[in-house]
Amino acid sequence: MTATHPPSDSGQQKNLPPDMRLPPAVWARKNLFNTWYNGVATVVAVVVGAILVYYGGRFVFVTGQWEAVRKNLTLLMVGIFPRDELWRLVVQMYLVATALGLAWGTVTARSQDRAEDTGVFARLPSPIDLLRRYWAILLLLAFILGLTRTIWPTLFTLSAVAVGLGVRSIAAHLPRSARRPCWYAAAFMGIVSFQVVSGANGSAWWWTSGLFAFAAFKFASARDFTRLLGTSMVWPISGRSRPFTAKDLARIKRVVQILAVVAVVVVVRVAYSLIGETSGVSWDKWSGLYLTLVASGAAITLSFPLSLLLAMGRRSSLPAVRWLCVAYIEIFRGIPFICLLLVAKTFIDFFLDVDTPLSLITRTIIAFTIFSSAYLAEVVRGGLQAVPRGQIEAGQAIGLQPPGVMRLIVLPQALRAVIPAMVGQFISLFKDSSLFAIISVVEFFRARELIHSQQEFSTLAIAETLVFVAFGYWALSYTMSKESQRLERHLGVGER
Amino acid sequence: MTDTTTSTSNVNSDATQIGSRELMIEMVGVDKFFGSFQALSNIDMRVGTGEVVVVIGPSGSGKSTLIRCINRLEHHDRGRIVVDGVELTDDVRNIALIRRETGMVFQQFNLFPHLTVLDNITLGPRQVLKMPKTQAEDRATELLERVKIPEQARKFPGQLSGGQQQRVAIARSLAMQPKVMLFDEPTSALDPEMISEVLEVILELSRTGMTLIVVTHEMGFAREAADRVIFMADGEIVEVGEPEHFFTNPTEERTKLFLSQIL
Repeated sequence: MTATHPPSDSGQQKNLPPDMRLPPAVWARKNLFNTWYNGVATVVAVVVGAILVYYGGRFVFVTGQWEAVRKNLTLLMVGIFPRDELWRLVVQMYLVATALGLAWGTVTARSQDRAEDTGVFARLPSPIDLLRRYWAILLLLAFILGLTRTIWPTLFTLSAVAVGLGVRSIAAHLPRSARRPCWYAAAFMGIVSFQVVSGANGSAWWWTSGLFAFAAFKFASARDFTRLLGTSMVWPISGRSRPFTAKDLARIKRVVQILAVVAVVVVVRVAYSLIGETSGVSWDKWSGLYLTLVASGAAITLSFPLSLLLAMGRRSSLPAVRWLCVAYIEIFRGIPFICLLLVAKTFIDFFLDVDTPLSLITRTIIAFTIFSSAYLAEVVRGGLQAVPRGQIEAGQAIGLQPPGVMRLIVLPQALRAVIPAMVGQFISLFKDSSLFAIISVVEFFRARELIHSQQEFSTLAIAETLVFVAFGYWALSYTMSKESQRLERHLGVGER
Repeated sequence: MTDTTTSTSNVNSDATQIGSRELMIEMVGVDKFFGSFQALSNIDMRVGTGEVVVVIGPSGSGKSTLIRCINRLEHHDRGRIVVDGVELTDDVRNIALIRRETGMVFQQFNLFPHLTVLDNITLGPRQVLKMPKTQAEDRATELLERVKIPEQARKFPGQLSGGQQQRVAIARSLAMQPKVMLFDEPTSALDPEMISEVLEVILELSRTGMTLIVVTHEMGFAREAADRVIFMADGEIVEVGEPEHFFTNPTEERTKLFLSQIL
């Protein structure tokens, strides 16, 4: 019947809701001018709207002195990043585009698999959907690229986007066995992209070996290992043999995992020492919008696991652990972020009585992480409490130990339940990073202040730069919020 | 053969035998309190291997609490509970051991909504028994065939009907190869037309020689499947008997009253 027709097949007028069939004049009379006060409200709203659009439009397209933004665009984007090292950021852009393309393609392919398995088909996004999803960030990008003086940034950006989309469509058609390698490749590219910028020296190898060790740990399998050695699946014990039990295999697997991890770490360490130290731009020079993105990304990534621990600790049955977590959460939720930032900037040196080896940016990110994990922990706790008691009992009844119940049953459900609240936290975190300006960390907002510390722009175009920066924050936050709504819907599939 | 059908049969010469059966579960003098409310008082119960025991009684009589004590979902306050020779104490190893040998099916199914049917079933074998993935999935598929829904393996619990969900829950418990299965009102949350498909599965299970304790309001099922029926009221075991005797000729007043109300 009609219900099975795709929605595009909309030739039948009578199936539309009654209001849609009214001619515009009748509809307006019915909905906008049905009483005298609604008529007045409509007129006032239209007049106010028109005035706002007129002045807004005039400001953006006619009177606005965007010269201030145009001349300082590089300052806003990357702040005090050395200008002859900018190529590193371009390289990073391509690497990140590839990584994102890989990840996105893999996710698409996986949800395709799931749709086939479960019979719940999600509609593939059309270009219109993508535009609706990303219009804010695309508008920001268009605005920025429109202000550049040479064609190069536009070319680089567009080609990076093309690379990302290309990689995505390749990754989306790889077989199922390629999913996990794709994830690790994407993560690896992300790590390398940062090492291209910062240079690979000191502790750089830790990141890579950490990733590969994790991969090796996950991939290690007892069966493959025994096959590799050519041994059969039996224990030779004093002349007699007995086949491996599940427990034997689990034990062998553990040993294989440890061996694989050690091997991987050694290989990575050797590889990095062969490459040698490469030069780069140390991250106290990272600044502008770039720093805003990196710092909030880092704080979000770091505070997430920390907040899980805190939330679980707060519900722990051990009083010492519980009180410690409660104290942490309540103390850092009760202190203004600015105080924490000032502590990070000055008091640490003061208390420790030595120059801390940590750079200002590192300290700022640590303060940021501490602050945000306290808030996030409360959000996660709400999720933990929302998981029904019966789920825990079912986990216990099949013999899982408490850590297993938490990891496999409670957490996955709890986190799904709090995605909207968590992304809300992330958005406010992202905006809070503008407070770094107070301790002279040159992030996006501080970069704007630097424009007006120049003689030329000391009193000029203050509104324009402010509007630009505000628009930048808004476009990114709005996109995050849109994505979280989508993620929520996506994860809800199959749960109803 | 000694009489296994009355409560007085607990007085048995051999402590490890109950009738001709090996002793599987033994509860002696078990008390359970919720605050000051006594949910179980002085419960003595012995269940033999392969025996099918149906527990009935009015709501609030402690039926669920009784079987939830057996796998330590509730903590008993006094008395002894021994399952297959392992005493249930505060020792987490004993608890783990007993939970591994007892499967439980809940009234509200309690399937894990974030996992597919297959993952629901393989979770225990893979995480607790450390079984390799392929082997666990083979067994899960077998069990799904046994409960007659092999085609639902890759779906999520939310996509299934209540009866199908409960059958998945049964398969999930069976995947751990338990010696005892506990059913806590398995059909009470189901629409009437789905009750029989679940009872069918339990009935089949009862013929395989597995030890079952079933809390239920389905008297027809009790009559057909039970080796013994236990009637509980106010936290006490009031009467125990073979279904034939129990339904036709109960001795206790309270049993008569209950049966007259529901039949």
